[in-house]
Amino acid sequence: MGDSIIQFLETWSPIDIVLIAQNFDRFLWGALTTLQLTAMSLIIGGLLAIPLAIIRAGNNPFLNAPVWAFTYLFRGTPLLVQTYLIYYGLGQFEWIRETFLWGPVLSQAWYCALIAFSLNTAAYSAELLRGSIVNTSQGEVEAAKACGFSNWMRLRRIILPSAFRRALPAYSNEVIFMLHGSVVASTITIQDLLGVGRWLNGRYYLAYEGFITAAVLYFIIVLLVSRGFRLWEKHWLAHLYPQEAVKTKPKKGLASFRI
Amino acid sequence: MSEPSGDYAALEVVDLHKSFGEVEVIRGVSLSAHKGDVISILGASGSGKSTFLRCINLLEIPTAGDVFVAGEQIRMKTSKTGRYEPEDIHQVERLRARLGMVFQSFNLWSHMTVIENVIEAPVHVLKIPKAEAIEQAEALLQKVGILERKDYYPAQLSGGQMQRVAIARGLAMNPEVMLFDEPTSALDPELVGEVLKVMRDLADEGRTMLVVTHEMGFARDVSSEVVFLHEGKVEEQGQPQQMFNNPNSDRFRQFLSRTMQ
Repeated sequence: MGDSIIQFLETWSPIDIVLIAQNFDRFLWGALTTLQLTAMSLIIGGLLAIPLAIIRAGNNPFLNAPVWAFTYLFRGTPLLVQTYLIYYGLGQFEWIRETFLWGPVLSQAWYCALIAFSLNTAAYSAELLRGSIVNTSQGEVEAAKACGFSNWMRLRRIILPSAFRRALPAYSNEVIFMLHGSVVASTITIQDLLGVGRWLNGRYYLAYEGFITAAVLYFIIVLLVSRGFRLWEKHWLAHLYPQEAVKTKPKKGLASFRI
Repeated sequence: MSEPSGDYAALEVVDLHKSFGEVEVIRGVSLSAHKGDVISILGASGSGKSTFLRCINLLEIPTAGDVFVAGEQIRMKTSKTGRYEPEDIHQVERLRARLGMVFQSFNLWSHMTVIENVIEAPVHVLKIPKAEAIEQAEALLQKVGILERKDYYPAQLSGGQMQRVAIARGLAMNPEVMLFDEPTSALDPELVGEVLKVMRDLADEGRTMLVVTHEMGFARDVSSEVVFLHEGKVEEQGQPQQMFNNPNSDRFRQFLSRTMQ
């Protein structure tokens, strides 16, 4: 029975499913690399984005100008170019090759990708969060002032918690873009999900099996990510839904109502 | 630094001025509120009454004048660029915490539930233990009649309910004076009553209140003093009965005839 299925697939299937199945563990490792790289970049970039967004939302010209330049530089140029400049470009400078960072970090493709991706997502997230901070209700900020909150406490207790929540739907897009953008890693020798697909195609002279498998796996990851954000939004954005939809505060991330 | 003396008003404002650019909106207003006073501030729109109230807790920085909260002066200085500004922002924050404020547009923190709104400042500004703050907040929500909605978000409440929560939030700081900035102006007519009733109860229990309002009934029946502002100056001031029955100034008489049809 099993043999006849394999024989059928080998003879009639338009794509070489057997070959994909034989190499599927490599695809899973590739997916893991992609997820690691994306997750690490999002964490580092996200942590960088918070102070940058606060500076951009503020009105200190000395801090604002360099951050503005940073975000425009990284949003204005392609991620591929940024990655190449870090991976191929930095090695051209002898003094960089002589620093202690060269051996363990800057000569490694994985770290170069991580640096490029983190800075890139930091720039996008900072501008996203800046918009959200600037749009915080002035009345709510005044109410906090009137209660005697200091500047810092207003930011920490009122402005940021409110801004993070409002930025969440747009940020889920940034996460998905970053996931897709991480394919750039495969161009600098990293065996991420797309990298494995390219390897399979090259190894067996295939036209599209590797790409299709990678695409399907990317699709599944995105599906899971957006489901996760949906649940998150229902929990954290419950305060934006009208009276009829919710009667009590929803518990945990579970949906107690449908949109 | 001026120490509070023995006998002081809960709130004293001396010769307050405020300009926006070239336009002087408040032109020397003084006022003092003693414990238990309920002072209604009336005036046509543009008379500067909201601005005056917002200058008291420095949401607007006055251009000149002094504010004393329970005898303590908010210290002001003139900066190098010639701007009148608070000398010590921490003092301002400390004194703001002793003045509860209720806004026309409620300004509840939308990402917090009703109870979270009420305990937020007591816990994070006054550093009251959370359990104690919750207990106190529940008592206040009971008083304004909205305890059963304590886990709702502001967006799930009516305007009248939101304003009652905002009043509870102000009271939770146990302030010297409650400042009300047109608390019923943004409400549907049928919701005004529930908010006014809460304010009446507060007056009855001896809260010191400053109320900028268009509610003539409230000004006449509840307040102990009425101040009528016209073009940034006190045009007339006195006992409500006397002022409403025998207005001295033509302007207040005109104002009354326009608003009390």
